[in-house]
Amino acid sequence: MLSYLVRRLLQMIPIVFGVALLVFILFNTVGEDPVRVALGTHATPASIAELRAKWGLDQPYHIQFFNFLVQIVTFDYGESYITGAPLSEMFLDGVLVSLSLTAPPYFTAVILYVSLALLIAYYRGNWFDRISRVTFVAMMSITYLVYIIFFQWLLAAQLDLFPIRGFARGLDGVEYLMLPWVIILFESIGHDIRMYRTIFLDEIKADYVRTARAKGATEMSVLFRHVLKNAMIPILTYTVIGIPYLILGAFLMERFFSIPGVGDLMINAINTGDFPVMKGLTVTIAIGYSVFNLLTDILYAYVDPRVKLG
Amino acid sequence: MKMKRLITVAAMASVVLVGACTKSCRGKKDEGSGAAGGAKKVFRYVRTSEERSLDPQKQFDEASADIVTNVYDTLLNYSYLKRPYQLENGLLETMPEKSADGLSYTFKLRKGVKFVDDACFPEGKGREMNIDDVIYSLKRFADANVNVLSYVLMEGSIEGMEAFREETKKAGKATDYSKLNISGLTKVDDYTMIVKLTKVNPLALYPFAMSQTSIVPREAVEKYGAEFERHPVGSGPFSVKENPRRGEMVLVRNPYYWEKYPSEGEESDRANGLLDAAGKQLPFVDEVRLPLIEETQPAILSFEKGQVDVVAIDKDNFGKFLKNEGGKIQLNPDWANKVNFYTMPGLSSEYLKFNMKDSVVGGYTPQKKALRQAFAYAMNTAGYIDLLLNGRAQQLNTIVPHPINGSESTNPTQYFEYNVQKAKEKLAEAGYPDGKDLPEIQVEYRSTAATVRQQWEYVRDNLAKAGIKATANFQTFSAWLQKTEKGNFQISGAGWQADYPDPENFYQLLYGKNTPPGPNDGSYDNAEYNKLYEEIRYMENGPDRYAKFARMNEIIKEDSPVVIQYNQMRVGLVTPWVRNLKRNAMYNPPLKYVDIDLERQAKGM
Repeated sequence: MLSYLVRRLLQMIPIVFGVALLVFILFNTVGEDPVRVALGTHATPASIAELRAKWGLDQPYHIQFFNFLVQIVTFDYGESYITGAPLSEMFLDGVLVSLSLTAPPYFTAVILYVSLALLIAYYRGNWFDRISRVTFVAMMSITYLVYIIFFQWLLAAQLDLFPIRGFARGLDGVEYLMLPWVIILFESIGHDIRMYRTIFLDEIKADYVRTARAKGATEMSVLFRHVLKNAMIPILTYTVIGIPYLILGAFLMERFFSIPGVGDLMINAINTGDFPVMKGLTVTIAIGYSVFNLLTDILYAYVDPRVKLG
Repeated sequence: MKMKRLITVAAMASVVLVGACTKSCRGKKDEGSGAAGGAKKVFRYVRTSEERSLDPQKQFDEASADIVTNVYDTLLNYSYLKRPYQLENGLLETMPEKSADGLSYTFKLRKGVKFVDDACFPEGKGREMNIDDVIYSLKRFADANVNVLSYVLMEGSIEGMEAFREETKKAGKATDYSKLNISGLTKVDDYTMIVKLTKVNPLALYPFAMSQTSIVPREAVEKYGAEFERHPVGSGPFSVKENPRRGEMVLVRNPYYWEKYPSEGEESDRANGLLDAAGKQLPFVDEVRLPLIEETQPAILSFEKGQVDVVAIDKDNFGKFLKNEGGKIQLNPDWANKVNFYTMPGLSSEYLKFNMKDSVVGGYTPQKKALRQAFAYAMNTAGYIDLLLNGRAQQLNTIVPHPINGSESTNPTQYFEYNVQKAKEKLAEAGYPDGKDLPEIQVEYRSTAATVRQQWEYVRDNLAKAGIKATANFQTFSAWLQKTEKGNFQISGAGWQADYPDPENFYQLLYGKNTPPGPNDGSYDNAEYNKLYEEIRYMENGPDRYAKFARMNEIIKEDSPVVIQYNQMRVGLVTPWVRNLKRNAMYNPPLKYVDIDLERQAKGM
């Protein structure tokens, strides 16, 4: 187990290095030049040179990239070019906000939609399954933006059930987050239930299910004791791998509801060429993805005794 | 069926239940009393992007300047009601007095101006501003370790400032202002300073009205260090009470503020009630709440609910609230009695510029001039404004936008009128009858946004009607800058936002010595134009200067290094209880002048 962990952790190094290299190349080839964005049309050669020197962009590329690697190792990405604020402070602040937006509906969706998908799988082929399939495919076809615009207009502006927008820290923030949560749940319902249903149907057709039924097991017992347990591997994969992305927030949601999370921070960083923010977030997500991938593999072993780590 | 109905009902019920719960939990936000003991007056204004810095000397973006101008003061400022915009004495007792040789100005600071109360001062009490604060702030402006963005606004203007900046570069973080001085800034007494210029230059006063030269107290800079950017301490009409990152900023009135509401304005201002508050103490509102709302829909929905007092209207929402009838913007009947609206001509010009060194569109022969004139005749700018901007722009006959003294309003000029036939004639004159043998022209744009692509389609159609084939290249702002500065383009979309309201700021765009890396990146160079520019550059406005502008406009029309189009107009809605709001392109948003009619507010929209 320990040697497996060490091996997997070592495998993360080339992944993070590759991500860092890719981000660095993209920033220096297709991204906005932060110096020119900051100085605008008033730039003079002297002011351009001064600002490049201040941000370390006058260094040769290999030195800049080396400094970037040092930042990754030390987890210190410096300060935002644009606001001058320390990245650690911006991230911590933004990540907690983003998590408060994304985590509750994410985990609610897992519990709710797995149960609902199991129910639909139980009624497979009948009218309930058919209607739900059509409904969910239709819901999947509607873009996220339409859900946001429609629900904000209907539930907040017309019915006055929620605030139109806003954010507050702590429990006061719940009233502002309710509508975004509802929208996230609505937006993900089609895709999630369709996927869980497919997973369950694959299991339901398996030989061990037929054997269980032949042995006289009740349908509830078949579904919850056998099917659900065996379907946990793909469900776990889907769920755990999605966790690192929660810290990225939901960019559109954050913009439309004035929620000061990380998603909007990232988009603004891309638009203004704020490289410290971009690289900090990208590498953090890459590391998070790798760690949660590892976590998923470890969980497999606990969920399914057939899986052996090593 | 029962199951489906049950699920549907349960889903809807839970949404309504959650909503009802949050609705009942929502309390009234603006309780409390105002300065006069009555109800608190709160003005709500939408911020559409986040500020980069609230340190006056470090900021150089519009969002930051919007806040800085309301928290700090400048030595000079612009008339609130009078148009065209003119400089007023701001923090000074009077306008600076010019010396006989025109090289020096005496600045006399107003007495009794106080910084707001803050922990950086002894016992937390704001102290009186003096001339040392002014010199300190100007040193910060010139300090290369502090200001890397906006120094260009004053570069080469004040004696000794360049040398001071060089010294700060050498000293780095060890820079000590007590040992370094700017020779052109001389303290006479606690309230008086003489500013010596490097040359006679009336334009040199404009930077003293820019937010980057706002006056800051040394104590605050030293106490807060890097945090000073988020913890401003000024003498302006408001101070920052709350400033959560990317959240709702809250400003509260400065009880020490010195300024009174202006008693002079335009003729229409009295009829519009804008002079009713003449002579009254500013600011009028107790609190300003500034939510950050980056998207249009939530801003407009919040406005409709009366949760924000002003909202800008974009192209997509224009028709819902407003109509454009024959170039006159009005509210739709549904909204006419509910809300007010404003229009504000911007201090910017939009135009297409030619690369004068390009082998096809550049050059100065009669044929080349005729080719560029064909582009000018082909452009239906009025139609463009009507269709793509809902009339939210003013067509221009000169490169200087309408609100500036010295524009076509004081200096009538007729530019090319849209005429496809004439465009074809000019094209033939250029040697390309019906566009035959004219290579496809590439037009560069500084954005990849959908609205810009729509605008391009209109331009492309205009050019095609005249027989000109063209294609467009959409790119990021910095990529566009790099391309145009290197002269690697044929035609480019372009615009210029005034740094100060003087025509010189626009005529310099075509001055031969301002070729790249200067702002004349089309590399236009005409000896007569250059000579005239050098003459008008430091002239006071008046008939002589206007006459020279007229000749420069003729030269621009003849050579056509640019196709002049329009200056943008901002349009927005205002709740009916807001008083004294007149949009001002040089002081935005004018928070200290606005008032709230609480009785009207109680009635709602």
